[in-house]
Amino acid sequence: MSARETILDAVRSGLGNTAVDPAAVRRDADALLQDLPSIRPALLADGLVDAFIARVTSPKVAATAERIASASELPAAVGRYLEAFGLPAVVALQPAAPLQDLDWSGFELHDKVAPDEMIAIGVARWGIAETGSLVFHSGADTPILANFLPLHHLVMVRADTILPFLDDYAAATAGQRPPRNVNIVTGASGTTDIEGSLVLGAHGPRFLHVVIVGTPDSSE
Amino acid sequence: MQEATLSFKARAKEALADPTLKIAIDRTTGTAERKRAVAMTQFPQFEAARERGKRIKDHVIANLDHYLLEFERNAIASGAKVHWARTAEEASQIVVRLCKEAGAKRVTRVKSMLGEEIGLPHALDEAGIERVETDLAEHIVQLGGDRPSHIVWPSMHRTREQVSEMFKRLHRAPHQEETIEAMVDSARRELRDKFLTADVSISGANFLLADTGATCTVTNEGNAELTTTPPRVHIVTAGIEKLVPSMGHAIAMLRLLVRSATGADVTQYTTFHCGPKQTGDRDGPEEFHIVLVDNGRTRMLREGMKDMLRCIRCGACMNHCVVFRQLGGHVYGGTYPGPMGAVLTPVFDGLESSRDLPHACTMNGKCQEVCPVAIPLPTLLRGWRDRSWREGLEPATVRFGLGIHTFVASRPRLYRLGTAIAIRVMRLFSRGGLVKGMPGLGAWTAYREFPAPAKRTFMEMYKDQEKGQ
Ligand code: SF4
Repeated sequence: MSARETILDAVRSGLGNTAVDPAAVRRDADALLQDLPSIRPALLADGLVDAFIARVTSPKVAATAERIASASELPAAVGRYLEAFGLPAVVALQPAAPLQDLDWSGFELHDKVAPDEMIAIGVARWGIAETGSLVFHSGADTPILANFLPLHHLVMVRADTILPFLDDYAAATAGQRPPRNVNIVTGASGTTDIEGSLVLGAHGPRFLHVVIVGTPDSSE
Repeated sequence: MQEATLSFKARAKEALADPTLKIAIDRTTGTAERKRAVAMTQFPQFEAARERGKRIKDHVIANLDHYLLEFERNAIASGAKVHWARTAEEASQIVVRLCKEAGAKRVTRVKSMLGEEIGLPHALDEAGIERVETDLAEHIVQLGGDRPSHIVWPSMHRTREQVSEMFKRLHRAPHQEETIEAMVDSARRELRDKFLTADVSISGANFLLADTGATCTVTNEGNAELTTTPPRVHIVTAGIEKLVPSMGHAIAMLRLLVRSATGADVTQYTTFHCGPKQTGDRDGPEEFHIVLVDNGRTRMLREGMKDMLRCIRCGACMNHCVVFRQLGGHVYGGTYPGPMGAVLTPVFDGLESSRDLPHACTMNGKCQEVCPVAIPLPTLLRGWRDRSWREGLEPATVRFGLGIHTFVASRPRLYRLGTAIAIRVMRLFSRGGLVKGMPGLGAWTAYREFPAPAKRTFMEMYKDQEKGQ
């Protein structure tokens, strides 16, 4: 008997060989996701953007955030960030249209992220207010390594893509073909592996700066 | 028989004599305990969430064959190759074979307890494949040539001074400054090119999503994604109990897992991996393999240990265990330490060689209290004890009991905590008015049986047995 058959048989005999009705299993599974507010934390603020920013900048997540009115202001925001850190205007730009279409004059751009890349700029598909997370999908305009190699990761997210809870992300994508990778990124890379003390920049970015564009009901 | 007992005793003795171990354990578990406590105050829904988490896992286990098949179907549809392994050896063999087929000289690994459980590090080393551990703690364990001592912080037994010394000796461009930041940086430099030049990556999975065939990893360092993206082949090894129906269920479990493990609300990186590189993708592996591992899990199902299959490997039970916090993880001798390890190791290694473990417990119930899926760990441990008696393994067990009790009793704070429990435990252990095989009665070989503890306090009895030594 193959390993597969042996294991499945052992599972069935362990469970007492009861026949499974897939529709009933489905119903039970759905029922387990009822009444979500009773099993998840409340948001930190009433407004979605405020709740999101409160989480992003909370000590636990320890990222920084700012708001701009329109994406066209992103290059200037990046410029200010680089100046504050005394960094050169040499950045890896994610090959995504919302970023590529902006006016980056004064910057030296490249789209391949080097192993010791200093600064990379990306765009998240969604923000999650519950946890202050950013969600990325791998794809033609989203290399996954770009989220992990740079020391400074600057991420643009549109206010109207901020979802209240992680469950809302699951609901928004349910039934679609999943990308190879879904990255839910919450703050910079960190480790507590040496004596439990938190150090940022373990293997991934040491700094995460989130730039929120527009308002929840703007379609900028 | 005796050898295992002696070696456990020897290990416990060694741990107690180690001047830095206790400091190292306290630094990490103390922080974990505090942070979890804070996280709980910020999550008043915890009790309800925990009950739900328990039900989600119970639902999956009750329909495990259904979910395994659904997962397999969807994983294959996503382009993954699914393999099944009955035992640890079979699982390791599959992984080594896949590495060889890929012509792998170097593999990078993301920490996974299942990988440790099936002996994967050893199997890869044996096969002559260069293995690079990318999780910082596993990197420290690898450099030190020892074993993980905690399921969340595998190098918890090392002080910063020891880590510094190792990095200075073994890194190509080690840190100059004596700070933890500088040491972390040293590891970052050391591992950078290895991430990018490996032929195969191996990870575990915190969850397997039945409805998409995706696997989920959670890390704080970002090493999982750096590990699994560049190589041509990504292999996932996962226990069959890791299934959840959908991403929504995984999210409900994640809220429990992360708070219980580190006190954070969510790990820095939660990643779902679904199949190999898709058309147009900028990066990612061309082959994606998933090895589903039984290794005793279906036996647990049969032998009344279903509850243990809920375990999500958060480590809270060990962080809150008085025994673990005295001795650390290595003394448990198996892959999994602490209370959950004491329940699991007899499954993997057999009760005969590990029967001491269920006795390394004061039955204070703290582990069950903090467990995010409400596993009745003390009850399961009692089950092993009962079985150990039934199978006639008591004498050796009792000899171990002395060791464990000696260390508890020689620590006043712990001891005070323990005495209240002791009477309760002793009643439990008492059979027809005689205490048989009560851990802690070291002079058992001389006395064989004790009267039940009606007239004498535990302390008196303990003093007696000290004199008897
Ligand atoms: S037994 Fe419970 S507390 Fe211990 S690791 Fe498993 S889930 Fe966590």
